Amino acid sequence: MNIAIVPCSGIGKTYGSVTREAAYIVVEELRPGSTGIVSLSRLVLGEEEARSVVRAMPVITLDGCKLACASVNVQQAGGTVARDFTVLDCYRRHRACKPKGIAQLNEGGMALADALAREVSEAVDTLQRTPNLPDLNLDPATQEASEELAGVRQMGGLDHA
Amino acid sequence: MPSLPQRKVGIVACSGEELPEGTVTRLAALKVLEELRPADTVTICLPLFLAGGEGDRAFAKFYPTIAVDGCDRRCAARATELYSNKPAASILLDDVLAEQGLPRPQGLRRLTPDSLPAVDALAAAIASQVDHLTSSHWSRTEGALLEAEPAASPAVSTASCACGSGIPVTNVDVDGQQVRLMALDAIFDLAYGQGLRANGQLPASLLETVRLYNPVPAGQEAAYARAVQLAWHAYCAGQEASHG
Repeated sequence: MNIAIVPCSGIGKTYGSVTREAAYIVVEELRPGSTGIVSLSRLVLGEEEARSVVRAMPVITLDGCKLACASVNVQQAGGTVARDFTVLDCYRRHRACKPKGIAQLNEGGMALADALAREVSEAVDTLQRTPNLPDLNLDPATQEASEELAGVRQMGGLDHA
Repeated sequence: MPSLPQRKVGIVACSGEELPEGTVTRLAALKVLEELRPADTVTICLPLFLAGGEGDRAFAKFYPTIAVDGCDRRCAARATELYSNKPAASILLDDVLAEQGLPRPQGLRRLTPDSLPAVDALAAAIASQVDHLTSSHWSRTEGALLEAEPAASPAVSTASCACGSGIPVTNVDVDGQQVRLMALDAIFDLAYGQGLRANGQLPASLLETVRLYNPVPAGQEAAYARAVQLAWHAYCAGQEASHG
């Protein structure tokens, strides 16, 4: 895993469910191995392990509303948001996919999650071409090394949305 | 006089996406919210504690909350306490599984069929806590459960915040502009209960409390203070009239 995916984690609205579903599609089906989910709850709590992960690698955030909880929390944890996606923007590009449901998304919601996941996967591929990406599975970085790597990436200028 | 609805309980689920247990907490919370106790519960979004959700932070200061965690990191309970108030109840999935003799849940995106009883058991445990809290007296001053006694009859709220937190909002006039202030009547309730009265200048502590829950734009502090003072006078006059 060298790219972290952080969905908004909202549980009360349809768009939050779409972000979560899209994140699962990316890490389980489309880009397994290179991506992993970091739970927002751990970042909210300020857990050091989660904070070090988002500091050590580029993060793709998926937000369900304009409050942008995922992006805000990642930034507050000291992470680099390499790309941020919002469900509303994706929905504007896929008007036929009207999401409904929370615990269980309807067909439109699942289709929208799939569309969002494909957009995220393309962003993953772009980021993979960035040199010096760390891989936590192969080389578990210490916090100090992680910060060094983050510095290298920032100097390299990642593709910011 | 509008006041905060007294029987709502907030549910904060950890919702951790990395673990099956997080999925169980999320689905159990939704089951309580949508099926078991829809009239008595609201969700509080954990990430909003940090991302600017004044409504969510304010809710847990005023109302009892139930933190539901999937692992012993207890992100929901600890973050709620860190940013808002100590949860009135904290439920750990492990405890429920042990009590019911249920297996650990499996599956992230989709729980396995064997894991679904864990959702039902956790939802039942949450609902039981909701029943306990709605039948007990919650001190908004102390932010804690008092002795178990029948709660007062539900009060009427004139409006609720659009954030979905259930916090009532009050419209006030700030230099000719209608501005919505959150939890104003609840703050006045507390202040009045603590003996503050509208005899002279607006107490500084009252304005500070209002500002905890409502952003005041730079340069408009005096205008907001005047608006709050007017509202405070009206509130006190209403209290005195109703109590003779």
